[in-house]
Amino acid sequence: MEKNSNSSLTWFPPEFKELNWRLWSFALILILSAGALILYPVSEYQGYVDPFYSPTVLVIPLIALFRLSCYAYRKDYYRHVFRHPLACIDGIRFDDKRKGYSGEMTFFSLNNFHRYFLYIAIVILPFFYYDIYVSMMYVPGEFIFRLGTIVLIVNTILLTLWTFSCHAFRHLTGGHTDCYSCKTAGGAKKKFYNGQSYLNRYHEQLAFISLIVVLAVDLYIRALIVGWPVDFTFLKFVI
Amino acid sequence: MEDVKIKIRRSEPALSSEWRYEEYSVPVVEGMVVLDAVHYIQNNIDPTLAVRWNCKAARCGSCSAEIDGKPKLMCKTRLDSLGSKITINPIKAYPVVKDLVTDVSQNYEIAKKIPPFTPKQGLQEPWKFMQIDVTRSKEFRTCIECFLCQDVCHVIREHQSNYYGPKHVVKIAALDLHPIDSIDRSELMHHDGGLGYCDITKCCQNVCPEEIRITDNAIIPEKERIVDHAYDPIGVLIKKIKKRKW
Ligand code: SF4
Ligand code: SF4
Ligand code: FES
Repeated sequence: MEKNSNSSLTWFPPEFKELNWRLWSFALILILSAGALILYPVSEYQGYVDPFYSPTVLVIPLIALFRLSCYAYRKDYYRHVFRHPLACIDGIRFDDKRKGYSGEMTFFSLNNFHRYFLYIAIVILPFFYYDIYVSMMYVPGEFIFRLGTIVLIVNTILLTLWTFSCHAFRHLTGGHTDCYSCKTAGGAKKKFYNGQSYLNRYHEQLAFISLIVVLAVDLYIRALIVGWPVDFTFLKFVI
Repeated sequence: MEDVKIKIRRSEPALSSEWRYEEYSVPVVEGMVVLDAVHYIQNNIDPTLAVRWNCKAARCGSCSAEIDGKPKLMCKTRLDSLGSKITINPIKAYPVVKDLVTDVSQNYEIAKKIPPFTPKQGLQEPWKFMQIDVTRSKEFRTCIECFLCQDVCHVIREHQSNYYGPKHVVKIAALDLHPIDSIDRSELMHHDGGLGYCDITKCCQNVCPEEIRITDNAIIPEKERIVDHAYDPIGVLIKKIKKRKW
């Protein structure tokens, strides 16, 4: 069989050259949502900090790159935006011998820097925990527990699970090791790896649920701002 | 029980470039698998129908085909899991020899390029290693070389490239993750093996009859090993500093 040599590839991938309305509408959605977040910012409202703006709106591009280079989303946009392939079954694959393809050899090899965005995400994560604290303590001398706090807790837990079920995290915390028993505390290391691998099985689901929940939390806080009666106080006392 | 209608793609490229679907009616017996139906056709309707099989127990990986568009082992697919009309194609990623038999010999050429198991120097035989260190590579050793994952992979099926394919990454991961093997084959996968062509879309993982989690456990770890030496300057630096004798 004739094989292409890698040298025939250019940095600008053939995937970007074709008329693909899926790609351009996907790009448009990303640009419009980024624009909307900047044009209609949400400042803290009654102790609730919108996850898109925590700790600052400036981290959005970094988080976006963490999401875009995540193995779970990569799979999904290669499938649904580029249709390489759309599905595995013959007949509905919508991949084609005539379509140009370079996979992660050219532009998308940038996705290999995923672990750096993981490091950034791990640094940002504690801010969400701080936001939970703020939502309960925002009035000096008072403790308040509301529905919104539960919403923030759910969001933060999902973000944590998604971040730590990451494939790069799996590799860095144990996957790269070939011989556990040769290392100090190798048994514990392997146990950690096994536990993380269990979580990693659900990485795709977590990626999607957490994305939807972040969007929902943003909308929830915006709804509160415009005065929808969607919050509820469970507990309130003076400390 | 009712009969099923089975449509099979018939061709013999060495004699003619033509091909056709032929439909057969097969009486169903409880517990029958697709391979049984194909044998029924061979024995009772058309003895010229070609099919490759050996064990009929999903162990040899010979009877791969596309059943209603899905790459599957014919001997592991029960008729009662399908409808009353079934279409069987040979696996499409490889050239047909005759009817359902394909030529998968490209894979033997690729296999030759993979450096074999090479134990670390200075180890005493018999080699000793611990169970916790081989559980990961054991998963890959269940591969029966059915090439269904190769068949479903769009890189192999629809695009020309030098990518070895998922089956070979499974083999490479089995060796690379082994505690006493001394070679890192991710370098090979980065260049000659073309692992960058894989876009982790997981079709291979979906069809593997041995339920090897090919993408999660073999391909992504190999990709991460490539990142280690080719895309992680800070990691490389840290490793250098650690190795250096102060
Ligand atoms: S995950 Fe990679 S190897 Fe598997 S089918 Fe998709 S492109 Fe091919
Ligand atoms: S990895 Fe699975 S699908 Fe691929 S050849 Fe081996 S057994 Fe078959
Ligand atoms: S006949 Fe052996 S795997 Fe099907």
